[in-house]
Amino acid sequence: MKSRVLVITSGKGGVGKTTTTANLGTALAMQGKKVVMLDTDIGLRNLDVVMGLENRIVFDIVDVVNGNCKIKQALIRDKRFEGLCLLPAAQTKDKSAVTPHQMKNLTNELRKDFDFILVDCPAGIEQGFKNAISGADDAIVVATPEVSSVRDADRIIGLLEAAGLSNSKLIINRLRNKMVKRGDMMDIEDILDILSIDLLGVVPEDETIVVSTNRGEPAVLENSSRAGEAYRRVARRLLGEEVPINAQEDTSNLVDRFKKMLKLAR
Amino acid sequence: MSVEIMAAGVDTELVIDLTAWDSFADMKAELEKNLHAIDNYLMGSFISIDVGSKSISERQLREMEDILLDHGFHFKDLINNHSAQGQNRISINKNNAEILDSADTVLICRNLRSGQKIFNKGNMVILGDVNPGAEVIAGGNILVMGALRGLAHAGALGDEKAIIAAFRLSPTQLRIANHITRPPDGESIVVNNPELAKIRAGKVVIEKLKI
Repeated sequence: MKSRVLVITSGKGGVGKTTTTANLGTALAMQGKKVVMLDTDIGLRNLDVVMGLENRIVFDIVDVVNGNCKIKQALIRDKRFEGLCLLPAAQTKDKSAVTPHQMKNLTNELRKDFDFILVDCPAGIEQGFKNAISGADDAIVVATPEVSSVRDADRIIGLLEAAGLSNSKLIINRLRNKMVKRGDMMDIEDILDILSIDLLGVVPEDETIVVSTNRGEPAVLENSSRAGEAYRRVARRLLGEEVPINAQEDTSNLVDRFKKMLKLAR
Repeated sequence: MSVEIMAAGVDTELVIDLTAWDSFADMKAELEKNLHAIDNYLMGSFISIDVGSKSISERQLREMEDILLDHGFHFKDLINNHSAQGQNRISINKNNAEILDSADTVLICRNLRSGQKIFNKGNMVILGDVNPGAEVIAGGNILVMGALRGLAHAGALGDEKAIIAAFRLSPTQLRIANHITRPPDGESIVVNNPELAKIRAGKVVIEKLKI
């Protein structure tokens, strides 16, 4: 299988890029893929904390691109999955410590050993963003159902297209079905209408994400987590399986729930 | 603001321009003001001071160095285009800096936050906390009069006898000389006593700090 470099980006901060990277990376590793997650948020690294691997960091991405160490020395092997690795960002430097050219070389080097290279992009559209997308084949855009997030996602998709990444996929994060039904929140159709790119998944708002993030255990490891389930679906869809989007998980009405049970039984 | 970043990159060089001020008192005030304005994440970096054509005595230079250290920065160089006399001072000062770096203990009176990194060739005493993501690196010993939750590297130049002590020792990672350790996975043990880490029989061990 040809390896793929996917950048996870959003423009707006706090919509769940890092959470998505961590969960998607873990979910792909659960499917037996060899995955490396690259944290490119130099100066504000988080992915290591979310993965619970912070205390293993010795070398970081800046050390690698500057040739202070070999890639293998800087890669942190996940404690749960053999095929999952993390290349952490540097915390004491800034975005200018890496150039897009260096990032491209780095991702090409990683292609030799991994099926998936997930690049966690920093918020914003400056140098950090340019670095993160420079080695990518495709982009995954994360947006929450808010006007501001969708606006920024739209801007990002435009920038991605200008950079030659025209096959971006969308993940809608933190959707609250009850609010959508009441008409208080943008629904999936509204968002797709504006962004007009392929939908890769819908992740419901879920308190287990907060718990798992704080504990350093991605939610996909938790069978009862609805968000984790959504991310597992995204991973399978990335691998080419036909999986329904299934946004209607939070069904409050009995008929819907019954229908769902029937569907499951089939 | 007269703080210049000379060469953006890995080794960012900071230069504080004090050429516009005449009296030493003004220069000091301006230096303080500049240091306050510098982003926190640059803390621990080396700073050069440009005094233009003014002559600076050795004592005054020391004073400015102390101001830098108080703010968590290191003195790098004095830029002084005051002909031969000035150059002479630079060389004197370089020697001072080296002696200070090799033998002296540096006192940092502040909390170190994520992304801040401090290096000293000698010992390091921190009156405050070291938060996760912050790095304290010393050629000698490290004493944290507060909680050490970040990374500490003692004996960074190879001294295996170096120790790390803290009132609350719960680091993300401890390094002594070329040994690297991290706390075990799973439940963290909360110890409310001062503790000390050192190398014994080739391993980093943590014990109660007996005073």
